[in-house]
Amino acid sequence: MNLDELRATAAARHDTCAQIKKMIVSRLDLPIEPAWITDDQPLFGRGLELDSLDVLELYVAIEAEFGVALYDSDMSVFGSVSRLADHVNPALVEQAPTGSA
Amino acid sequence: MESLTSPVKAAHPDGAVYGTVLDAEVALRFSTLDAEYEAIRERAALLDLSGERIIELSGGGATDFAQKVLARDVEYLTAERCMTSLVLAEDGTVVDQVVVWGREDGLLLESSTGAGTRLLEHLRAHAEPGVEITDRTAEHALFGLEGPYAWGVVGRLIDGELAALPFESVVDSQWDGVDILFARTGVTGEYGYKVLVPRESAERLWTKALEQAVPAGQEAVELAMLEVRQPVVRHEAGEGVDVLEMGAGWLVDITKDEFVGRDAVVAAFEGTAERRTVGFSGGTEVPEPGTPVTVGGEKIGEVVHAVHSVGLKSALGLLRLPPDLAAAGLKVTVGDTEVTTLTSPYVTPKSWSTPII
Repeated sequence: MNLDELRATAAARHDTCAQIKKMIVSRLDLPIEPAWITDDQPLFGRGLELDSLDVLELYVAIEAEFGVALYDSDMSVFGSVSRLADHVNPALVEQAPTGSA
Repeated sequence: MESLTSPVKAAHPDGAVYGTVLDAEVALRFSTLDAEYEAIRERAALLDLSGERIIELSGGGATDFAQKVLARDVEYLTAERCMTSLVLAEDGTVVDQVVVWGREDGLLLESSTGAGTRLLEHLRAHAEPGVEITDRTAEHALFGLEGPYAWGVVGRLIDGELAALPFESVVDSQWDGVDILFARTGVTGEYGYKVLVPRESAERLWTKALEQAVPAGQEAVELAMLEVRQPVVRHEAGEGVDVLEMGAGWLVDITKDEFVGRDAVVAAFEGTAERRTVGFSGGTEVPEPGTPVTVGGEKIGEVVHAVHSVGLKSALGLLRLPPDLAAAGLKVTVGDTEVTTLTSPYVTPKSWSTPII
């Protein structure tokens, strides 16, 4: 896989992460710009410091925005924005390149 | 300033291996990395945090001063709460990552391992009338308990009610007739607790805690921190590296009106970063910091820091790459080894699926 193909793969993940950040800021009415959240930032406890009520709100928001139900998932889904992206857009995991760099 | 050594060193297990981390001599290993890592991720580990300096901010101006020198907002931090914040230089580079303990008459700042002297010098350089900056390290010992069953150790050792405190709670409590300061906070993603105990009682508490938990040294703790993307400043914050490149923007509150380093951070948030940090794993050789990252023979970045991950059974580390390539799920070459960039956390803590009962 060449550099352009890697950039395209990375861009797909960045797009999904940006969509998630925008959803989090909008739904939870956070006083920050979505772009200030980093892809690896923890969402609960340390990090964005969301709580269990925020989780319920996010479950509803994720289903409305991405059509994905995460109600029975464990908390690791919310380990970071990028981890959440794997679950709301499984194509990101499937399209990750497997050839040599 | 004298370097720090553990006040309970005499009570450490025989065979402990020591090393120097900045201004502190710390136990790197008490037994083996594998055994200590297993305690952190599967059971309960006891940490000797004597390499972390405890600095008190007191006086009428303590909160205002803390607001100035801390990158996160502590204006409403009560005596029952603690939080983690970066301390920045004017140019936005990281001086240290601290735990801020709220107190009735000021605040306590807990430095990262070995960084206390640098932190103290930075604080004193920004000192203002109305605030006293006092190094309290010699009066106390600081211990940590981390692991999916650390809550059980807290219950048996101190008080079961303390184990289920909300995250980042602080409580004035007692252990065996001694006043202690207790917090629910940690760095490994597992259930984490800290106990600040008067130095004269430290060895007694350490010895008692050893009956309940496995001592873990700096190497195991830093590995577990990396696995959950908890910054280890001395590995990740190089010269000219800002908080966004480091991926530690979440330890800065940019909505706060004023703090040392804010202008540089705002410029970084509004500007176009040249590099971003992303995790990777792959291969068995641990690459040195600065090892080139390539794609098709073209250099695109370099290794920041890497270790051998016991959990992943491969090298694990951080890469600094151009923003458009800093994403999980990519195959790149580090040195001569193909690696894969990762989604954080790189290892899911068992505590996330282990209830406190």
